[in-house]
Amino acid sequence: MALGDAWKQLSWFYYQYLLVTALYMLEPWERTIFNSLLVTVAAMAIYTGYVFMPQHIMAILHYFEVVQ
Amino acid sequence: MIRTDEHHSCKGTPMCHSDQKQLQSNSMKNGYHKKEKVQKNGKGDGFHQPRVRGEDSFEEAPMYVAVLTYMGYGIVILFGYFRDFLRAVGFEKCHQAQEREEQKDFVPLYQDFENFYKRNLYTRVRDNWNRPICSLPGPVFDVMERVSDDYNWTFRLTGRTIENVINMGSYNYLGFAENNVDFLKTVAEETRQYGVGVCSTRQELGNLSTHEKLERLVAEFLGVESAMAFGMGFATNSMNIPALVGKGCLILSDELNHTSLILGARLSGATIRVFKHNNMQSLEKMLKDAICSGQPRTHRAWKKILIMVEGIYSMEGSLVRLPEILALKKKYKAYLYLDEAHSIGAVGPTGRGVTEYFGVDPNEVDVLMGTFTKSFGAAGGYIAGKKELVDYLRSHSHSAVYATAMSPPVVEQIIRAIKCIMGVDGTTEGQRRVRQLAENTRYLRSRLKEMGFIIYGNQDSPVVPLLLYLPGKVGAFSRAMLKRKIGVVVVGFPATPITEARARFCVSAAHTREMLDKVLQSLDELGDDIKLKFSRHRSSYRPELYDETDFELDS
Repeated sequence: MALGDAWKQLSWFYYQYLLVTALYMLEPWERTIFNSLLVTVAAMAIYTGYVFMPQHIMAILHYFEVVQ
Repeated sequence: MIRTDEHHSCKGTPMCHSDQKQLQSNSMKNGYHKKEKVQKNGKGDGFHQPRVRGEDSFEEAPMYVAVLTYMGYGIVILFGYFRDFLRAVGFEKCHQAQEREEQKDFVPLYQDFENFYKRNLYTRVRDNWNRPICSLPGPVFDVMERVSDDYNWTFRLTGRTIENVINMGSYNYLGFAENNVDFLKTVAEETRQYGVGVCSTRQELGNLSTHEKLERLVAEFLGVESAMAFGMGFATNSMNIPALVGKGCLILSDELNHTSLILGARLSGATIRVFKHNNMQSLEKMLKDAICSGQPRTHRAWKKILIMVEGIYSMEGSLVRLPEILALKKKYKAYLYLDEAHSIGAVGPTGRGVTEYFGVDPNEVDVLMGTFTKSFGAAGGYIAGKKELVDYLRSHSHSAVYATAMSPPVVEQIIRAIKCIMGVDGTTEGQRRVRQLAENTRYLRSRLKEMGFIIYGNQDSPVVPLLLYLPGKVGAFSRAMLKRKIGVVVVGFPATPITEARARFCVSAAHTREMLDKVLQSLDELGDDIKLKFSRHRSSYRPELYDETDFELDS
């Protein structure tokens, strides 16, 4: 069924991610540390983007004199 | 070194070493003179022309692969530092050897990169090496199952064996690693007559008649005057090069030479210069500079210039450029040392090695060296060449004088293997095996290239390195192949450059087409699963002339 296939595909992608970043060689708790660091950094980036995007867009439009 | 005294009469001109050699061969010699020429086999049918050497391929990987490799190593090294910190602070027990508490303030023993690498990278994937085998290493073998409870610091055997694992890692090129009773009759006879231990060196009481028979046979097989056999292949190189060259000589050695050659060169005390792998321009430039400028400070002529190359390089599978090197050697009056460890028995229409492959007279190479480990299913090595050379080595080589003589059953195994290849035993089994090996090699290489893997080396070499690059994939590949019942050898740093980890397949004449097909199918599936098919069918352009390496090791 579709959910099973999606889960298999996702798990294959996770396996590829482990291989490419060499996390495959690390122990499970080290993988947890790395993954949480990565998720934290990504979350912070997304949050900052979310908070400052309107300001940045207004500034750009102001520079190109689309809006006063 | 005693050898260098002979050249004191040299007038200091760079061209006089070959004259010296000529002089000696014309003088009267004591001892046994071989009046008639060495019996050579016939030229063979006209079908087997000396093949024009195909180009070695050293395809470069796409850029993203290099970036990801470095990133992967970076992450694991960072975690390595983190774990070392935990061990130093005491949160984690250190399983590796450590200095004692009282020695903590002394010079650190385990802090260099090699130990760091071993602790933090190698140990994590250590279960892919040193696997215990419990059958003979033929085309299929049995592996003992081994698990680890503490992430590869200790192992325990579960008691089960994984049977009929296809063997793609053993150096069994002609399939002589067999226990067929009929083939091994003479070996059993020999053991019954002579026992197994020799209990002496060749110089004292260990010179058996079988040793003499073996050496005559090896000389005949190779087409040279005389040969000498030693008990260990590595020791053949490391103990004989110091006997041939010494201080005041120059060794030009290929970049990718084996450790035994490098060790022998360093032990000899000669100056070593390294030229780029298989790069004739680099070699010629070094020869010219050597002859023009002479020795480093005094500018005297070099006593000898020895070019050290291998027939097939075991990590790349590339073939030596023998005709070019011979031309250079003649032009600049240097000597050539050819290490045919992997190529004897494995290349050439009748299995005589790279000299036959290129259609070159083996008497043109000054020192022919090889091992019996790979194609003959035994142990040991040989050095062959002119009679004066081999007679000199009999009394001046460390290995000949001090090492124990070869064991009789091993000698008999080599004799029967060589007789089989030459066809002297009356069957065509040897030739069939040589042809089967060539066919298997071509089949495997062409299919792997078609599938899209990056394979290094010449199309005719039975050593097939398949590039893996990423450190994570190295461990995953080996484990997955074992799960599919195929045993492979993966190699990483320090045997290869750190970014070029690879799996090395050794094709054997004993592999059947079905086995190769099974291996290819598994590789296909695994290649898609782990994403190893990096090839873009574009070989990298290696510029012919490099800046000269200024790597010079003075004694």
